[in-house]
Amino acid sequence: MSAQLTNEIIDLLKDKETTKVLATLDADGFPHAVVKQSLQPGEDGNILYLELLESSRTNKNLVRSIWFDRKVAIALKGKDGRSWQIKGKPVKTHITGPLFQKHYTAVRKRLGDVDLAAVWVIEPEEVIEETFAARRAEEERKHPLFTHLDRLARQ
Amino acid sequence: MAVALKRNREAELTLEEVVAKYPDVPRLVALKIDAQRRGVHYTEQALSVVDDSVQMRSPYIFGSRDGEIKPLPESLILRDGTSILTDPTPIEQDPYLVDLVDGRLALVDNGEPVEFVELWPKPLYYDKQTSSGIPMSHIVSARPQRLNIFQSSFCHFWADKKECRFCDIVNHTKQQKDEIGVPSRLKPRDVSETIREALKEPGRFTGMCLTAGSVLKGEQIFDREVDYYIEALQAVGENFSTKKFPSQLIASAFSEKQLARLYEETGLTSYTSDLEVLGERLFNWICPGKAQTVGYREWQQRLIRAVDIFGRGNVGTGLVGGVELARPSGFTSEEDALASTLAEAEYLAENGVTTVFIVWVPRPGSYFRDQQNPSLEYFVRLARGLHRLRVKYDLGVDFDDYRRCGNHPDTDLSRLL
Ligand code: SF4
Repeated sequence: MSAQLTNEIIDLLKDKETTKVLATLDADGFPHAVVKQSLQPGEDGNILYLELLESSRTNKNLVRSIWFDRKVAIALKGKDGRSWQIKGKPVKTHITGPLFQKHYTAVRKRLGDVDLAAVWVIEPEEVIEETFAARRAEEERKHPLFTHLDRLARQ
Repeated sequence: MAVALKRNREAELTLEEVVAKYPDVPRLVALKIDAQRRGVHYTEQALSVVDDSVQMRSPYIFGSRDGEIKPLPESLILRDGTSILTDPTPIEQDPYLVDLVDGRLALVDNGEPVEFVELWPKPLYYDKQTSSGIPMSHIVSARPQRLNIFQSSFCHFWADKKECRFCDIVNHTKQQKDEIGVPSRLKPRDVSETIREALKEPGRFTGMCLTAGSVLKGEQIFDREVDYYIEALQAVGENFSTKKFPSQLIASAFSEKQLARLYEETGLTSYTSDLEVLGERLFNWICPGKAQTVGYREWQQRLIRAVDIFGRGNVGTGLVGGVELARPSGFTSEEDALASTLAEAEYLAENGVTTVFIVWVPRPGSYFRDQQNPSLEYFVRLARGLHRLRVKYDLGVDFDDYRRCGNHPDTDLSRLL
């Protein structure tokens, strides 16, 4: 079921200036959306998320997701205004081992005296372009009736 | 020394049936319980991919189900970060197989892959020796994120034949000493050097646990045991810049004076004293040494008094889950065993003491060697029952959770607390 990330999305995930949001679901099914700049491409077509706080709501929601097969969503908006949504599911968390230790060292080098709780691996299942111009063109093509009449009135 | 015990599993619910019946319990945690309950057997194919990056079995305070000390992988970790602490089990006892599936290691049951698994990574200090020439892996053993210091592996209850009936500590210690030269009592200097080396590896460990058998000697009972721990904890503490460091002590039921010494003179942050089984009648039968020297009610009260010193959420007691159903004097129904255990655990929770369990594995070196542990369903219900008590009483268990310990299915569930 996994979707392939295009080079454009991989570049967006790599770019520090991209705004990155991770949305998870809590125990009651309420969405919990937070800007998470640590989202980054993994080496195997998946997306990595570095969780710095063991007790964060996002971390607990991700545990719930991997246990009970709940989806997550990632929104990306690049500096050129283009935006994408990626739906997926956490398939693994590294809490130990070489990949965890590599990121632990890197994140501390970058941010100073912080901890790292987990490196989550999110498998993308669907990639949707959310850039307004692209979505508008799509809607006009698929739903030509979705408009207000005054927009069509003779001037 | 292995005892062939063929399980009769026909009457029990399977893993998938248990998962369907208890949808609030994650399949991965249920699988962990089942693998711990039944044990694992590594196929030749699986062993062919084990390389030097893997942690092999290191000295442990208790023995294993096959009764042997062989160079095999220490244990397994699941994709959600859940550790499975299980040991090699003779194939006649119907363990899960660890086999290669599509080039990856997997738990396999009845010829079907159940879940991919990974082996524990070996810490760097495992290849080093102390200045006294002892392999550091013999001084401090590792789990994926924790350090284990088994300060001494002798328990005085064994001297009077009053050992806990599920325990094999002394028989196992003798075997480890004879076969691989593991010291039966650690020297503080070796401990300090090993901890210093372990801390050099960034991101490798989040906590440590000290434990040993009971030592009755001293002016007051257990005074000598307390002295040993203070000595070891102070040696550990030399390596930290803070007075306190994340640590767990699993020890005898100490008096307030002894606990205050431990808290004030060392960096210890939590205290556990195992009742092993809940309910006075079973405690007297299964833990005769503990019953005779301290007694069930006093053991409970000592735990409760420890909360005043270490704080709520930092005091616990451990159970060997399932021994309450041991023959001939245990409960004969899983329903009754569960109700009784959870009622006793609730009394402790009300008083700030958290209860955790490990899955009972009848070991060849123990008195209960020829018994069988309960069903997967029983352990799943026990795990959710203990977890629910923590939810009800808002009782944390950070010091003994999936990461800082990894051996309690009930605290795996508490990742969501
Ligand atoms: S107190 Fe009981 S369980 Fe602990 S080492 Fe002694 S005999 Fe074994």
